[in-house]
Amino acid sequence: MENTKKRLIIKIVILVIALAIAAVAAVDFWTLRHYKEKIVTSPYLTEVKWFSDYVPSLKNTWLDTPVFIFDSGVEGGTVFLNGCPHPYEPASTMAAYLMIENIEVEKGKVIIVPRCNFSGSTEGMAGDAYPMFFSVETEWGEEKYKIGDRYTNPLDQWPDPFTYVNYPSGQNLAYQDIRNLNRTYPGRENGTISERAAYAVMEIIRQENVDIAIDMHEAEILYPVTSTYVAPAKVLDREHFLETGEMVYVEPEESSLDIAMMAAMNIDQFLMKCSASPNTLHGLSHREWADWSDALTFLMETPEIFIDKITGPRTEDLMYTGSDEFLQRVTDKGLTYFPYEMEFGTPMWYRVGRHLSGAMEIINWASLFYPEKECIVSWPLYEDMEEIENQGIDSVGYFLKNPNAPENKDNVFTVYYKPVDNN
Amino acid sequence: MVFMENLIHILYFVMAGLIGASFLKSFFKRKKNKGIVFDIMYAYCIIPFLLRILYIK
Repeated sequence: MENTKKRLIIKIVILVIALAIAAVAAVDFWTLRHYKEKIVTSPYLTEVKWFSDYVPSLKNTWLDTPVFIFDSGVEGGTVFLNGCPHPYEPASTMAAYLMIENIEVEKGKVIIVPRCNFSGSTEGMAGDAYPMFFSVETEWGEEKYKIGDRYTNPLDQWPDPFTYVNYPSGQNLAYQDIRNLNRTYPGRENGTISERAAYAVMEIIRQENVDIAIDMHEAEILYPVTSTYVAPAKVLDREHFLETGEMVYVEPEESSLDIAMMAAMNIDQFLMKCSASPNTLHGLSHREWADWSDALTFLMETPEIFIDKITGPRTEDLMYTGSDEFLQRVTDKGLTYFPYEMEFGTPMWYRVGRHLSGAMEIINWASLFYPEKECIVSWPLYEDMEEIENQGIDSVGYFLKNPNAPENKDNVFTVYYKPVDNN
Repeated sequence: MVFMENLIHILYFVMAGLIGASFLKSFFKRKKNKGIVFDIMYAYCIIPFLLRILYIK
């Protein structure tokens, strides 16, 4: 009897310790899940819509997200910029935030989604020990931003199938890609929650008559398509496909690949390659946006060594500076696809600046190729950030605006999966 | 289809709850592997199920 009682007490102690560990972990998980980033929108903002305005079933789900629209009121091209399709590539979100805060539109319309997969930004990658946040130094102190995962959070989409079949191509992809927003295009209005978010992006492009659509990503330097524009050389003959189910690819009337090549050649501040989107790899933006809309489509990749698999410890410093001796050794052996130098690294400002200038180059070249799509827009560029960095100031923080400053109080927007505060 | 998606999603949470409850029962009362090491293992295994049904992780 005495022994049984003692055993029970030991069990309870073990259970309490386990619950305490669970509680400590839960606080971290909860903090990341419910973290709200604040931005100060540019005075040029004309409207904020949500994914759920395009796909109503996304309302009050964690895949709903704000869509910022800057309309000059002057007829011209419409540009769509997509940030955070993969939340663990945060330079895309930071570039989108800098655009939203500093944009000036003189002609045409610009639509920006800073957190396309909001759900994916609310968790870390399973099995990868890395920080939940990174900090940006600003005039008013440090601002924290989420790092996130590649996929939609399983809390919002679960279970995964044994094999994911992309719709409508029927292509088999890895099971977890059913939660990968950049494998679920063109999406389905009544599909999984990730497919519905992908469909919302397609609907933005179609309903807002987008002329130029740019998807912002980051990539490992051990991956060939890093530091690259990707654009389609051929597009799906939609009518033929809808009639016969056969996928036939034809030369597009307007070539985004030509624009991407000119942009890549014209950029001289950093290396930018150019690659044609394969016809046979489905679900990706540079393929499906072009196949299922009339927009000129582009994907941009910056080099983000934080997601290379052979780095040293994945710390906030590695995310922000991109300096790693192991990747230097691999680069010295000629095994990477980017001329990496750890002394410079691939710092956040460099990656953000690349997106800002990379997108601007596309917009300018598209205007030259097709004058009716001209969009006159400005935001800080790579060279502006470089100049600030040379003064020893964090240029990402320099171009952010203080959400607590009284002069900004009317323009503060809290980025979350639903409207909060005075949004 | 959205309804079916949501239904399957909820069913998986219910299953997670049932498996978690089964671990909890086995933690206190089981016929085999009665050592303290197995107590620790069962307690540890309960954590992810608990966090999932609480909609935390």
